[in-house]
Amino acid sequence: MRSSLPVLLGRALLIAAFLGAWEALPRLGVADPELLPPFSTVLGTLWGLLARPALRADLAITTVQLLVAVAVALPVGTLLGLLLSENPRLGAIFDPLVFFLFSIPKSIFLPMFILTMGIGFWQKVAFGVFSTVFIVLMSATAAVRAVRPDHVFVARAFGATRAQIAWRVYLPSMLPILLEGFRLAVIFGFTAVLLAEMYASRTGMGHQIASWGENFMMDRLFAGVLLLAIVAIVLNEAIRAVEVRCSHWRS
Amino acid sequence: MSLGAMSPGAVRTLIILGVLVLWEALPRLGLVPMLFLPPLTTTLVAGFSDWRVYGAALVVTLTEVAAALVFAVGGGILIGAFVGALAGPRRILLPVFSSFYAVPIVVLYPVFTAWFGIGSESKIAFAAIYGFFPTMLATAAGIQTIDPNLVLTARSMGATPVQRLLRVILPASIPTLLAGLRLGGALVIVGVVVAEMLISAAGIGYLVTSSRTVLDSPRVFAGVLLVLVIAMGFDMAMRVVERRCAAWGGGAPAQVPRRRPIARETGQANAA
Amino acid sequence: MQPLAELKPVVDEAIAPERPIIQVSGLDHVYPSRDGPVHALSDIALTVGEGRFVVIVGPSGCGKSSLLMMLAGLRHQTAGTILCSGRPITDPDPDRVGVVFQEANLFPWLTAIDNVAFPLALRGVSRAERAARANAMLELVGLGDAGGRYPHELSGGMKQRVSIARGLVQDPPVLLMDEPFAALDEQTRMAMGEELLRIWSATRKTVVFVTHSLTEAVYLADEVLVMSARPGRIVDRMEVELPRPRTYEMMAGAVFGRLRDRIWQQIKAPAR
Ligand SMILES: Nc1ncnc2c1ncn2[C@@H]1O[C@H](COP(=O)(O)OP(=O)(O)O)[C@@H](O)[C@H]1O
Ligand SMILES: [Mg+2]
Repeated sequence: MRSSLPVLLGRALLIAAFLGAWEALPRLGVADPELLPPFSTVLGTLWGLLARPALRADLAITTVQLLVAVAVALPVGTLLGLLLSENPRLGAIFDPLVFFLFSIPKSIFLPMFILTMGIGFWQKVAFGVFSTVFIVLMSATAAVRAVRPDHVFVARAFGATRAQIAWRVYLPSMLPILLEGFRLAVIFGFTAVLLAEMYASRTGMGHQIASWGENFMMDRLFAGVLLLAIVAIVLNEAIRAVEVRCSHWRS
Repeated sequence: MSLGAMSPGAVRTLIILGVLVLWEALPRLGLVPMLFLPPLTTTLVAGFSDWRVYGAALVVTLTEVAAALVFAVGGGILIGAFVGALAGPRRILLPVFSSFYAVPIVVLYPVFTAWFGIGSESKIAFAAIYGFFPTMLATAAGIQTIDPNLVLTARSMGATPVQRLLRVILPASIPTLLAGLRLGGALVIVGVVVAEMLISAAGIGYLVTSSRTVLDSPRVFAGVLLVLVIAMGFDMAMRVVERRCAAWGGGAPAQVPRRRPIARETGQANAA
Repeated sequence: MQPLAELKPVVDEAIAPERPIIQVSGLDHVYPSRDGPVHALSDIALTVGEGRFVVIVGPSGCGKSSLLMMLAGLRHQTAGTILCSGRPITDPDPDRVGVVFQEANLFPWLTAIDNVAFPLALRGVSRAERAARANAMLELVGLGDAGGRYPHELSGGMKQRVSIARGLVQDPPVLLMDEPFAALDEQTRMAMGEELLRIWSATRKTVVFVTHSLTEAVYLADEVLVMSARPGRIVDRMEVELPRPRTYEMMAGAVFGRLRDRIWQQIKAPAR
């Protein structure tokens, strides 16, 4: 749905007000600039940081960990989800367990990952997978439920083969929900990887942020937060744009 | 009796028992190092023998949770109701907030420790923010599922705006408010514990992290188990409250939005 | 003949010999919308005699609901006047007008009896009187023993009965009904029509009933007003001279068929 001009204007105004306050409060001395550096200062720091290869390496490692985690969680979660929803017996046994695992908080298990896997690359990937796989699983189950039996009946009545039903009925019905699950997996995976890096790591953006915070390097800290916020929002909106496009050719 | 003939519930119980037995047996048999997985009994003994320490930590954590809950859930429900109920703010704010939802809030925690120190304040601030956005978004979405026809009906009976708010909108929002409280509460608990794990000097999360740094696995597991019990206990208690207070909805809060499409299918097409 | 009598429209003289209770003249309504203004109602004039059962029938989207909302004071017309008992209707006035909607719109958190008593509670009627009057209304609609049930425990037909009881509980002289049975299945719908006629003859209310069903219109009405497709105007009015009580057998008769055919000719002609 397109938004009208006043709504867009209101939104722009809101964001401008937020950034304006960020700039004005420390400049006017309302907030301590040592604790809250003005927005322009932070932007300048961010620009300087981005030019440094060390920071780009940290950003890259965080991104790679996230991508690997999602690349594992996506097929595994989807397959398990399909298995549970297409096999009534397995579903009856495991659905409550899976729902339990889905609903418990994952972050508190992080120390156990460190005890078993140390603080390297794969520990963060594993924690990322653990934090996202149940989301994917649940959305795969929901996606199967979104396939309307009468659509399948109609397709079958017109003599569609199994493959045709899978491709022309199942996939279009499921895709929007699967994409939604993918988007949530990316969001939660990002948080998981960053948390793992902040908790115990020698690399990655999470590690950098934590150490800037400990050393009171506020302009760098805010630059890092800003950068990660932008990355997250852009990722999220990009996947959402694909979602919208997919539900378009669905209807 | 073969596994295939058992009821799903029985198989499930068997699986859970199996997991507990493996938890005990695998490390005892030396198949998994004790560091990775301390036996169940060792974990429980470690937890219970240190009950004073865990109890004191629990008090710290729960106090922080309570304080953060006020901000996160109070603010989340108030602003969510405001945003959800009014078309103007909703159209302007909701997309902004749901974009914001993608931001990994955890990166703000170092900001809070720099601002408020490593005491309780930084945990409360962080957990409040952590719980606020989801609660607010859920409330905004829930408020929108209130059937506008109910308000119209009340109006046709001459209800004043105040009566409409108190007698229609408020009771109709109760399932949404309770669901918001349940969601926000769960997030606040996790937020406080995670914050304590990262940087702090007290609380369950601190206990877990300090045990981890000395590789005291049983105490790590005992701490995590305790947090899990708290989170699940809160969730179950809230579900009971929800079922009590929303008995009229046929049990589940989800019933409220679900009813409308069905009615639309059986009814005549109003906007053909 | 007196010259004064000649000034009155002949049609009204013939059709509404009773004291008029609702008088609408020059009613016009335009909805603003994104794709330009929608002319929903055009130059509506009608008079409803006291104690009569008047049915407004017309195609979907012709403005029937809009008209009813204005009669109920729930929406303000662009132009024209609406008088009820000689005074203009500008806001909902439950003393003069009760409303029953297409969906029962019962408050799901209230039992059937509390739903019926709701309009009384709004005006601070004492608890005892509330219970007595609501009970009497439930008896009237044949639900004397279902007062303690919640809406989700009632069938569609029962819900609509509760809704009718609620519309009548303040004893307004006029009852407005907007396709009240459209969401029900055919059998329930027939039974509810019969039931409504029984209630009507027991209470002698004035009923303005909106429907898109030709059969329902002829079966229920003293007088049928036919509306054209948008912009809705009244294109025909006819007296239903079937005796009361109405019976199912009448539907097969020639009079019934002729009236239904006449409405059909009016409705279908301008449509596509
Ligand atoms: N709030 C509104 N805003 C804009 N257009 C409306 C609104 N309500 C109804 N309409 C339009 O006015 C016309 C009449 O609607 P309605 O009174 O509901 O018709 P009916 O009840 O006969 O089906 C329809 O074309 C409908 O789309
Ligand atoms: Mg209508």
